[in-house]
Amino acid sequence: MTAYILRRIGTSIVVVLGVTFIIFFLLHLIYPSPAIDVLGPKATGPAIRSWNLQHGFDRPFIVQYLSYLGNLLHGNFGYSWKANQSVTALFAERWARSAYLSGISLVFAVLIAIPLGIFQAVRRNTIADNVVTGLAFVTYAMPVFMLGLILIQVFALSFPIFNYEASQSMSVWGVMTDWRSMTLPIATLTLISVAGFSRYMRSSAIDQLAQDYIKAARAKGLPERLVLWRHLLRNACLPMVTLIGLSIPFLLAGNLITEQLFNYQGLGLLFFDSLNNVDYNTLLAYTMLGALLTVVGNLIADISLTVADPRIRLA
Amino acid sequence: MKVAHPVMKMAALAAVGATVLAACGTSTSTPSFIGPSGAFGKVPPAASGPKHAGTITVAEPPGATPTWIFPVTPGANSSVYTAYSFQYEFWRPLYWIVNGVRPVEYKPMSMANDPVFSNGDKTVTVTLKNWVWSDGQPVTSKDLLFWIDEARAAIKESPANWGNYTPKYGIPDQIVTATTPNAKTLVLTLNKAVNPTWFFEDELPLIQPIPAHAWAKASVSGPILDFTNPANAKKIYDFLAAQSKSTKTYATNPLWQIVDGPYQITSFNNTTGAWTAKPNAKYSGPHATPMSSLSAVPFTSDTAEFNAVKSGQIDQGYVPLTDVPQIGSIKSTYNVFGYPGFGFNYVTYNFLDKTGDFNNIIKQLYIRQAMAHLEDEAGYIKAFFHGAGGQAYGPVPAIPATPYTPSNALTNPYPFSVSAAISLLKSHGWTINPGGTDVCANPGTGANQCGAGIPKGTKLAWNMIYNTSPAIIGEQVTDLVSQARKAGITITLKSDNFNHMIATYYDVANPKADNLWAMEDFGGFSISAYPTTLGIFNSTGSFNIGGYKDPQADTLINASVTSGNPSAVKNEAAYLTEQQPSLFQPLVDNVVVWKKTISGDPLSFESLTQYQLNPEFWYFTK
Repeated sequence: MTAYILRRIGTSIVVVLGVTFIIFFLLHLIYPSPAIDVLGPKATGPAIRSWNLQHGFDRPFIVQYLSYLGNLLHGNFGYSWKANQSVTALFAERWARSAYLSGISLVFAVLIAIPLGIFQAVRRNTIADNVVTGLAFVTYAMPVFMLGLILIQVFALSFPIFNYEASQSMSVWGVMTDWRSMTLPIATLTLISVAGFSRYMRSSAIDQLAQDYIKAARAKGLPERLVLWRHLLRNACLPMVTLIGLSIPFLLAGNLITEQLFNYQGLGLLFFDSLNNVDYNTLLAYTMLGALLTVVGNLIADISLTVADPRIRLA
Repeated sequence: MKVAHPVMKMAALAAVGATVLAACGTSTSTPSFIGPSGAFGKVPPAASGPKHAGTITVAEPPGATPTWIFPVTPGANSSVYTAYSFQYEFWRPLYWIVNGVRPVEYKPMSMANDPVFSNGDKTVTVTLKNWVWSDGQPVTSKDLLFWIDEARAAIKESPANWGNYTPKYGIPDQIVTATTPNAKTLVLTLNKAVNPTWFFEDELPLIQPIPAHAWAKASVSGPILDFTNPANAKKIYDFLAAQSKSTKTYATNPLWQIVDGPYQITSFNNTTGAWTAKPNAKYSGPHATPMSSLSAVPFTSDTAEFNAVKSGQIDQGYVPLTDVPQIGSIKSTYNVFGYPGFGFNYVTYNFLDKTGDFNNIIKQLYIRQAMAHLEDEAGYIKAFFHGAGGQAYGPVPAIPATPYTPSNALTNPYPFSVSAAISLLKSHGWTINPGGTDVCANPGTGANQCGAGIPKGTKLAWNMIYNTSPAIIGEQVTDLVSQARKAGITITLKSDNFNHMIATYYDVANPKADNLWAMEDFGGFSISAYPTTLGIFNSTGSFNIGGYKDPQADTLINASVTSGNPSAVKNEAAYLTEQQPSLFQPLVDNVVVWKKTISGDPLSFESLTQYQLNPEFWYFTK
């Protein structure tokens, strides 16, 4: 196991480095310098040249890349010219907010989707199953912004039970305790995720219910409750482990549309603004973080799978 | 400018230079109100009765987070919001050049009497009124000179350090000497004669007096330095710029508490862009009594902002264009008013594109006229702007009205008519193929021929690249293509994004792209109160994206900046409207709302549409 983890970490470093190079290269291919985007369409030639000189964009591409990597190794993610702050500061102010919104939604989604999927599998092709399947399809097919808008209209504007926007507190504790403001954004993300997760869970549970070990458990006279919770649940959840592992990058990536809709300053929005402003350093840092978390998420999913299912052996 | 597109607005300001749109009147100056023509909604007269102070919450649109507080703003941090809705609350420009929706001076808010030009328009004398800083010190001519010297120091380090800088033109490049014969007088000697109106309305408002007695130092606890020494000016600039980069300390830095504007900052959240301000008790300009505090509430999207409006959680906000049809649902709580910001939107022609001889085709005035005939501005406003827009036929729009609006900018010289376009093409030797592609059948330079450089068999077919945001750009160009098709002009559309467009198809960034595009709609520009198109349509203009070249236009534009003729810019606008160097488009209204429990001088609400935030004129009625 240790050798496997070390090998995977080594591979991950190579992957992350490769991602930084590709992103850096592509950005430079599209925008050799962000000067005109930063300074505006009426920026004059001298202003652009001066800006490039000031920020090192007059140097050869490979020199710029190596310089960027060197800074990264020293924990320097660079400076955001538009936000007038260091990228580290921008991330530090937002990551916990995004992680909370995405994380709590993920937890709720999993807690709802697993029993829901099993319920549907056990009662498959009944009216209840068909109703839940129908609702899941509707929710899954619905764009996040539409679901969010409906929830706002109904629960914040028509019946003002919740706030129309997410918490504006800058402390995570403040956000966590502001249930009136956080209910709708969390509900939006949870409902969308539940729709997808429950479908996976249902399929997986149906597969497992047809397996011999379930039949054997029933033949032994185990009560159905124990069959489901002791035997079915652990095996049916294996695909969910992978899904949850792959969801880890989203914890920090944030949810752009939900953040925009509910007026929530998170990393998703930061990325969107960075794209608009061709904010090189923020884009690079965000992409790198995404790559890192994807790799880590995969690694966690793989390891979790072997723990959950001893039949799976790491090569 | 593309008023519906925040990014474009921000980009536009960097360009605008002297666009000091301006503002308002006192709360007692307008006994009865007559609104501007072409407005969407109306501004009620100021309410009589008791006036109460409180905290006015104003919406900060997405992407409007202020990122610079020192009033010499780098291009990277320039935006209409940073300038007009943030810095101007604390440091006022020398001259205030917006009066309601009109881009003309509002004298009570100007810090100086109108400038006096002498010596053949080479010397400018500015006399300050009696304004004071928040610490009680008088605003003096040294404070004006201090700003000029700091702007110079900033530019010397990098031209990118001041977003309004235009090399060789205006402030500071044209200033040879600047002297302060007394505490109230600043005398500028220029390197050559200027058009006084241009210099007054476009250049002098760029100056924002800054407190030399408190800021002319190179460290927090350092001594006050002689800023007229360039070495000291550089040290001071470096210090003040560094302080301005520290966005976290905006509300706590004692430097930024010394203001001449109506407010003093009390909090600033550099993550969200939220900020609050209290009234400056020593504010010298006109204002309501009592004055309210101010709280800018940031929004991550237009949808989020309009949700806040619908729930009545904000005192002053705006209605996104897509939500204009929903205005009925908020009318019981809010006053609604819309008007276009002063500027122009246009589709640029590429006079350098040799693909299919497009350069020779578009040089023909009748082709540009035909294209103008294919544009259904009234239809766009009705269908795409939900009625909230104003027509514009040239670089000076029909509204807002200015003293420089030429007569041909008021009535469309090339009204929408496919048949008129077809007639023009037919009469110049083109075989018309409605639904297909017209072909030049009669080449030559005669009055009834296709024109110079257009060989027989040339097709009226080219491409057009357009910005996908805001969506109305796509809607307008799609309709244009459809109408053009009826006249046998085949235009192939290609969508793109703003950043990529200006980096790829824009001569400053990429001069090798000449043959990649024929028409381009990236947005537009805001323009100054004095609406010369210097830089945009003169042949050597840095922002002449499509390489338009016309000696007559050059002469007229030059006269707008250098001659003493007060009508010069009007002549320029009239000629360009006639010549159609680009395809001008209608302007979207900026639709603003404010609660019915807030009142004040009507002009101060009107000027919101020109991006000017003047809550010092507002009060609560309950």
